[in-house]
Amino acid sequence: MSAVAELKPAGAEQHYRDGLLKMRSGDVDGALKEFDKALARLPGLADAVVARAELLDGLGQVEAARAEYERARRLWSEMPVGAPDRRYLFRRRGHFAFEIEAYDLVRSNVRNKVLPQLAHGNALLVRGKAKEALDSYERALRVKPDRPELLALKGEALSALGRFEEAIQAFDTVLSAFPADGETLNARGIARMALGKLAEANGDWRRQLDLLPQAQSAARACVAMRQGNYEAAFHSFGLSLAKEPANVYWLLYRLTAGRLTGAPPDPIAIPADRQWPAPLLAFHAGQATEDDVLAQADTPCRRTEALFQLGVVALAGNPATARRHWEKLVESGAPALIEYAAARNELARLGS
Amino acid sequence: MFSVILYGRNDSHGYNLHKRAAISFNALAEVMSDPDDEILFVDYNTPDDHPTFPEAIHDTLTDKAKQVMRILRVRPDQHAHLRPKTHLVALEAQSRNVALRRSNPRNRWILYTNTDMLLVPRNEQESLSDILGGLADGFYQVPRFEIPEMLWEAAFDRRDPAGNLAKLRDWAVRFHLNQVVHNYMPMKYDALGDFQAALREDMFAIHGFDESMILGWHCDSNLAARLALYRGRVDTLIDKVFGYHCDHTRVAAANNKGRATRMNDQDKFIWNVVSPYVPAQAEAWGWPEVEIEELRLDRDTAYQRFTAGLAKTIQPATVPFITTSLEWQLYEDLTYDLAHTLPFVCDQVVTFPRSTAIMIVASRADFVSGFAEAWKGMGFTGPLLVPLECEGLPSDLEGVERAPFAQQLAKADMFIFEFGLATQTVSEPVRAGRAMAPIDKKRLKVIERLFKRAVATEAETRPPARRVARRFIGVNVIYNKFWTVFTDYVGANINPFCSQVLAGLPREDDSMKGKVLRFRGRHAL
Repeated sequence: MSAVAELKPAGAEQHYRDGLLKMRSGDVDGALKEFDKALARLPGLADAVVARAELLDGLGQVEAARAEYERARRLWSEMPVGAPDRRYLFRRRGHFAFEIEAYDLVRSNVRNKVLPQLAHGNALLVRGKAKEALDSYERALRVKPDRPELLALKGEALSALGRFEEAIQAFDTVLSAFPADGETLNARGIARMALGKLAEANGDWRRQLDLLPQAQSAARACVAMRQGNYEAAFHSFGLSLAKEPANVYWLLYRLTAGRLTGAPPDPIAIPADRQWPAPLLAFHAGQATEDDVLAQADTPCRRTEALFQLGVVALAGNPATARRHWEKLVESGAPALIEYAAARNELARLGS
Repeated sequence: MFSVILYGRNDSHGYNLHKRAAISFNALAEVMSDPDDEILFVDYNTPDDHPTFPEAIHDTLTDKAKQVMRILRVRPDQHAHLRPKTHLVALEAQSRNVALRRSNPRNRWILYTNTDMLLVPRNEQESLSDILGGLADGFYQVPRFEIPEMLWEAAFDRRDPAGNLAKLRDWAVRFHLNQVVHNYMPMKYDALGDFQAALREDMFAIHGFDESMILGWHCDSNLAARLALYRGRVDTLIDKVFGYHCDHTRVAAANNKGRATRMNDQDKFIWNVVSPYVPAQAEAWGWPEVEIEELRLDRDTAYQRFTAGLAKTIQPATVPFITTSLEWQLYEDLTYDLAHTLPFVCDQVVTFPRSTAIMIVASRADFVSGFAEAWKGMGFTGPLLVPLECEGLPSDLEGVERAPFAQQLAKADMFIFEFGLATQTVSEPVRAGRAMAPIDKKRLKVIERLFKRAVATEAETRPPARRVARRFIGVNVIYNKFWTVFTDYVGANINPFCSQVLAGLPREDDSMKGKVLRFRGRHAL
């Protein structure tokens, strides 16, 4: 699972923005060229693909356009998505290149309003541009300083920047206004865990779990996993898997939770396409080595996930190895990831 | 696969509403192919004595449209708590949320549109169900294209949706209809509310439409803002489906007063939205605790209920016609033909909730027993309240409750006052100059007294939960001595004598005459 989108090939987004400008000014050929350049640098930039599709469609090249629309949708659907226990903005897929550009246009025309700023900030934050997102949220807060919802987003940006103490202060203020705000409890838990305040972090997540309706099994499972409450996680991931049988993460996490609670192992069905996180399932099934897994963990998020699973598999036979993997994870992993919290809780259980 | 959510009421919202709506209902049904698909029409605040809007135009709907449509009827009494806060008679957010709450949980998608839209899949082989079934999770909109009023009015056959969609494919090219009007994000397009497809799960997560938006307009933009935040993107379905709107600005609709139009605050509900959620209504949106009547057009229709009710109580006529007269010398003659009158009485009640408790104050025993049979046959479950003060009436009928008038007054949702002659026999001629017997006079005096008391004290004797005035039906009150009595107190229309029946709500007459009448009625003077 992703904390933020990770593709940042240089120049692609600039070409995309140039394409949008040309598109708006009626320079269709120029826009198409810019989108082509963007896609040459970043073939997965679905925003450019769909913009190109709309231009082709408008030119009457309907069949070519149709294929491009479908390609864009496929690219979006293949993008990683955030954990369902987190704030709404982390739970969606996309590069948000269009949104960053579009809301920038809106905020320069519809001035002194909140929505353009916060939508712009959200798009930036999910793209990993926390500093710019913080600026957008602060602009929004200048318009409506008394809105806890905006302060909560500022807290998220601060947390993404590693300014955890400030983030916690912001979340404290939000929670004093909205004590049952589960998304902010989750966010404060992440910031507290990043500072090593395990008991307080787990307290926030326990409260969030209490607040989450039973129907939101995936969110419940994830927040239980963060706390290291593997029995609850095992149960809820089972429910999630029943709703979304194709979700490989639910399969993996259920397997993980089951292993850590000592539940009898189910047969492991490894997806045929072997796309991430299938290598982690293969590792659980004994069909891949540590080196295989780490070789395929080609992003920071994947590396964090891999280190966690290496520790899980090692734990029963070799707790020292598990500890080594998890300590490495905690050194470099993003605190927003489920694995980060789970690893810290496991390390605490192993003792110093 | 999807639930289409529409709303409206049985009125005349904009130019040639009936044709627009029929075209739209039929066209929407035409592009459905999944057995779970449904059109949810929330009929909001249609007067109780009217049928819902789809019932009023059912004959112009295709069988398929009737099969997939569920009508959710929000009664005026259910809207009454909002009436002081808005100038509108139909509320979009409340309507759409009532439908969302009650939508088919098996459907993954909710499609918000309006009763003047036709959705045309670009691939003729695909249904909208196919299209939505193949989509990834998200929030989708399409641009709206306009159809000139002349075209849809003159050329569409409302019962030929396939033909209409074919015409649109042709006109789109011939008349250059397809113009995409872009808009700022998060709206993406102009007139976005005519196609907003969202996951049902997402709509529940964000607490539906914002029900504080009760002044009209911008509900769609607010939804777009909140779903754009929630989902991050607003995706287009322009490659899959075109949406066409039957333009109807030739005559302004009630909510369109040009630059003087009152509307929801754009800043508050669009540009200063701070969250996808509306936590203040998290538990209450869509009125989950309110019992909302559901009606169908393919079964258990009002006509079927009406005929079933009357079949229980009257036999077909055995003569070509019967006669009566409204000549003035017959003013005192209160005879009337029961078999002819009962259908008009049933007509007055059939659109009311089945749980309605109705008070019957009558002189003729055969009226009470006949109506009681029809009431039951029409599927009503509420009691018939017959005051003990009315003598000579049957007490052993199913559903009839006898008790003192004062006790029953606060239980009644509606009233029937029947001014006939207790002594009239089935075989005697009607309005032939018949004089009243002493017992008739005695019983009519009681009825008149109870009528005046009921109507003069209506507001203060309403059932506790009820917020709107109760309806009074007068039987045999046209062109006879009780005509003025009834219409002094009840704001009834002028009806043909032949119908025998008048009905309306208590008059709100603040003139000296009105005050005197109310005083006299209250004290039964």
